Amino acid sequence: MSIKSGKNHYAIPGIIISLLINIAVINAQKVPISFEAYHGYTGTIDYLKKVNAAYPGITELMTIGESTMGRPIHVLVITGMNKGTTIDRHIELRNKRKENIQNVPAMKIHQGKPGHFIGGSTHGNEYTGTEVCLYIIDKLVSAYGNDETITKLIDSRAFYICPMINPDGVYNSVEKGIAQRANSMNKDDDEDGRINEDGPDDIDGDGFITSFRYRDTEGMYVIDDEDPRLMIRLGRDEKTDKQRYSVIREDIDNDKDGKRGEDYESGIDLNRNYPESWWKDDGFAGGSGTYPLSAPETHAMAEFFTNYRNILMAQFYHTSGGFTYRPMGTAPHSRLNPADVAVFDFIMGKKYLEIIGEEVPEAWLYPEKLDQYRKELQGSDADTYSKSRGYELPRGWRVSYNEEGDKRYGYGMATDWLYAQYGIYSITTELWNPEADIPGLEVRDDENRRAAVERALLKYQDDRYDGKLFIDWKSFRHPELGEGETGGWISRYSRNNALPGEPLLNVCEKHWQFELFRASLLPEIIIKDLKTNIIYSGNTSEGTAKRDNDEFRVETGKGKGRYNIIEITATIENTGALATNLADGEELPGNRQDVAWLVAERNNIEFLEGRPFVSLGSLGGREKIPGVSNNPSKKEVKWIIAVRDNTPLKIVVSSLKGGTVYQEINVK
Amino acid sequence: MKTKNIYNRIIIIIFISILTVQLAYPQSKLQKSAGGEHGETDFIINWKRYYTYDEWTGIMKEMQKKYPGLCELESIGKSRMGLDQLLLTLTNKSTGSHSDKTAIWVDGAIHGNEVNGITCSLYLAWYLLTRYDYDPYVKDLLDSHTFYILPGLNVDANNSFVKAPNTANNPRETYRPEDNDGDGLYDEDLTEDVDGDGELSYMYREDPEGNLRLSADSRRFVDAEEGFEGLRFTRIGSEGFDNDGDGQINEDDLGGPDPNRNFPYGWNLNAGNPYPMSEPETRNVFEFQLAHPNIFASFHYHNTGRLIMFQAPPPVRQSASQHEQLREETERRLQEMKKTNKYAQLFPRQVSDEYRHDMDVQTKIVSEGAYILKNYEPVIGGLSGQAHAATYYMLGAYSYLIELWGSPVDIADTDNDGRLSDEEYMKWIDLDLAGEGWITPHKVNHPDLGEIWIGGSAKKHMQRTPPSRYIEMEAEKNARFVMYCASQFPEVKIEDIKLKALKANIYQVDVTVRNTGEYPTASDRSVQLERYIPDMLQFRGSDNISLVVTSGKDLIGESGRRRSYFRRSDPGPEIQLSAGEKTEFRLKGKGKRVIRYYLAMDGKQGTVEFTLSSKMGGSDRESVTIRLD
Repeated sequence: MSIKSGKNHYAIPGIIISLLINIAVINAQKVPISFEAYHGYTGTIDYLKKVNAAYPGITELMTIGESTMGRPIHVLVITGMNKGTTIDRHIELRNKRKENIQNVPAMKIHQGKPGHFIGGSTHGNEYTGTEVCLYIIDKLVSAYGNDETITKLIDSRAFYICPMINPDGVYNSVEKGIAQRANSMNKDDDEDGRINEDGPDDIDGDGFITSFRYRDTEGMYVIDDEDPRLMIRLGRDEKTDKQRYSVIREDIDNDKDGKRGEDYESGIDLNRNYPESWWKDDGFAGGSGTYPLSAPETHAMAEFFTNYRNILMAQFYHTSGGFTYRPMGTAPHSRLNPADVAVFDFIMGKKYLEIIGEEVPEAWLYPEKLDQYRKELQGSDADTYSKSRGYELPRGWRVSYNEEGDKRYGYGMATDWLYAQYGIYSITTELWNPEADIPGLEVRDDENRRAAVERALLKYQDDRYDGKLFIDWKSFRHPELGEGETGGWISRYSRNNALPGEPLLNVCEKHWQFELFRASLLPEIIIKDLKTNIIYSGNTSEGTAKRDNDEFRVETGKGKGRYNIIEITATIENTGALATNLADGEELPGNRQDVAWLVAERNNIEFLEGRPFVSLGSLGGREKIPGVSNNPSKKEVKWIIAVRDNTPLKIVVSSLKGGTVYQEINVK
Repeated sequence: MKTKNIYNRIIIIIFISILTVQLAYPQSKLQKSAGGEHGETDFIINWKRYYTYDEWTGIMKEMQKKYPGLCELESIGKSRMGLDQLLLTLTNKSTGSHSDKTAIWVDGAIHGNEVNGITCSLYLAWYLLTRYDYDPYVKDLLDSHTFYILPGLNVDANNSFVKAPNTANNPRETYRPEDNDGDGLYDEDLTEDVDGDGELSYMYREDPEGNLRLSADSRRFVDAEEGFEGLRFTRIGSEGFDNDGDGQINEDDLGGPDPNRNFPYGWNLNAGNPYPMSEPETRNVFEFQLAHPNIFASFHYHNTGRLIMFQAPPPVRQSASQHEQLREETERRLQEMKKTNKYAQLFPRQVSDEYRHDMDVQTKIVSEGAYILKNYEPVIGGLSGQAHAATYYMLGAYSYLIELWGSPVDIADTDNDGRLSDEEYMKWIDLDLAGEGWITPHKVNHPDLGEIWIGGSAKKHMQRTPPSRYIEMEAEKNARFVMYCASQFPEVKIEDIKLKALKANIYQVDVTVRNTGEYPTASDRSVQLERYIPDMLQFRGSDNISLVVTSGKDLIGESGRRRSYFRRSDPGPEIQLSAGEKTEFRLKGKGKRVIRYYLAMDGKQGTVEFTLSSKMGGSDRESVTIRLD
């Protein structure tokens, strides 16, 4: 797949979705899946197990941890399980310590391939991401053996898909119908000695937790003129002659302490609990936790990313807005290496904007003219960071750092953490933009855009869902608040998530396309131009050889029988689009340079020139990254060895994030 | 005049009700002679050796069995390799639950090789248990406080260090696999005992170009003089094999991150990777500490260097010249103080007002520590993800990292030049240790290297960890320092109640409360973290008595007194006006405070009761009867 595809300057029309949806229903689909309803926790687990059972040759279902409430956190690995190799399969260890310490597990086959992580529902109420994960799983496994490109991709890469990072949050949001952003925690929020005793309630007993509205002179809502089912939120100091209302979630004071819903399962914000620029902050939506990675869910993620260092690409789905955050949010632009910025913006960002149908900044189309764009920006009122880059970040591809105000967005976010500490191209996509994802959605111009969108959605659900996503208001007497009405959007369908059916499918298809593109960027290492040259042949009585003034003179014997002195050369090349590490990736603790080993039975070989393994640095990618001087994508390796005749030899090249390959040497 | 008349007609009767718990049982075997035994033979443990995991946990189980009323045993979690991290909880159970008492945390050997911490913390437990019936000081500590003791923190590495041949420095880390040499393999080339003598030494090869030769007594490898004609050597490195065949030996050692850089406070990626609290061993500890807010102070045993590394409050920003000035001034004052107390301590750290008490208290405590531990030097500890940084900075507990033992410089430095020469060191081995502990160079056939020499170094328990004969000496004084700290935990009481009649039926009551410990009832840090519960004096009066909420000014025309409470330099009693029925405050170390109440009483007789409660300092209650003639 070429990454130089952006020909026009202008936003291209959105992908013709209906066509693609039809392609999805191909007969290779062993586990049928539909997106007419949310899968929730139960449906997701069920689907993962079925896919794993149906595709044993290309999937592994891992449990990487457990939520507070004991629900498993699953990662589905998709890769050709009988394809590839790992370095530990080639190096024989001997004379090991007598203690027999078993702290190093055998590597899994997928650890020898470049990894691509896709995760959903860090925030439990943003389960559109779970659906997109399932959609991607379906696309991948169904295409294996049918679509040549995707089959090759699955064989040579490892996809790690975690549909629910926060299973408790998904369960409560979908199954129980109580939107829960945070994880669950057994915590006594109101310090009354009881745990999680006062959550929201289905007070009218209709099976749904919607809203309760009541007349309140201090209320912040009024009834919409155009559609009286809608409640319009007033501005802070906005004046009105209309009846004011307060709108709350359906809830009563279960523990009779004068407060409603003050002690529910809801715990901390998992996307503030990661170690990058973490700070204890109890103010933010449940807080950032008592210490970094204090939550079982984030701890599981950290352990997972520590064990699967082969991952180079990561995506965390959130909702909503229909745009992507690339790093960073906790630190300004200057914290990123310019080479990484170029990959993020000119390659990934450009493709993303094309997919979502938004205009690509001119500077990204003509990066060779970046200096000129930079100059043009100097006189403008753009912020410092945009001026230094030469372009302003577009709506659809941005950073969460507040560049205008020069302020961090928050603490401890996953995307920043993986970029800065693990050397991963990590991004966060905010899925679901109704106006883009429902073609033809009639949103009329209105000062209050949010209200206009909601009116349009309400009408859309009247037409397409028989009005079943919204409960009409009906009077209800609240035991604490008195007369009022219950009604409103059923929590599952309210704003945060793509409506099931066509809107959800549209979201899924765009993001599958984008991740497919990103997977195709991953490095791919080959060993080529392997040459052997026998410099000298001898026998036992002469012994092995030592180098002396470029001549090989035999001194003492190590092997027995005939031996050869051989010069071996080869080229190690990365034919993938991107380098095997981020710009500073190999320097990060736990990462490393690419290495090449020359392996043979140890008693039969002596290295005269070159060590048994050589470090190659990080091999650059095939793709020219605008404005960046790539590392070379090729490296020559050379050894001169004395080796016993007919001893099998092989070269093993192992890149942590670029994959492991080997080639046996046929001595000529 | 009238006031005085009324005053003369008052009679006060004070009833004291003791809230402190009843003694569980009298001290049956009280030992009154310093020359007598104190229970040592009730539970005999050989303190002149190191113990493996099975052995030291076996001792812990025995302790629990023998002293069930004082000792509880639990696992706080498992290590990477599945060993239980066993913890002793020591307190007199009959005087209250461990979690209701102010507690001290003690752990040992977070660094796998520093196993002296296991024996020291185990010794502390043994000292407390065996002495309980004999020693009133110990009895008082276990009746009123809790000791959480985790002898081995890094159990996998601790066990290996004791059991297997190792250098003095390994294994130090937890067992997370790590690729030290960047070859793609993890922990694949460890040290090995090549010659099978149970010790790990160094390898040398004969080399005509080598820079070393054998010493005259053939015990050491020393620099070869120019022109030396005899056998020359080159050093290869630590004893071991080339396990992965890459031509290098011992280049990818056991384990990953330094567990004492793995805690969240001041954590950084390079030292503490892969992520904060990544190791089961450290995470179990921190989760336990978080779940036990009664932990007031913590001790962490390391080797080596004879240091008391205490956590101090953060310094205020100073210019280099300001700091230099502070340093000089501190040094000058310290020399002055040392004229009367050679153990006096003072540290050149400027802290902000809200942290001054912590700095003062820590200085006082470690000065006593220097006295108790004699040749140990108190220094301010580091941050960077260390366990004792997290306990102070994140939990608000006073913390101390003890570097146990150290080079025998103080006893073997015969020429007094402040360092040990090789000759002095060998003399120490020959005379103090009767020749024990040295590996003499000897020839060995190495499968990867051919014929080599191994030796010329001290054995494992000769460097970081003391030879076994010194274990008890070190453990005994360290146990006393921990006990000293526990003995200085806050303890609050109502010291005095003064009544004064002001005008018709209005009375002023001054209640004096005091903390007798050196430590405050909450550290400055815990106040900053809002991780503390204030001390409280609660008022309750009979039906005919009510509190008059007032500044007091209108009653007595006195305005200067209250302000004096805020004036730092004022040495007089701190007077705080009551804030209604519940008045909150914090008692500093050795601090006292007067809470002033104004009461109105109908009739001729009434009763008031004051209850003092402190989360860390205990409680006290007194009631007063006011009767008019």
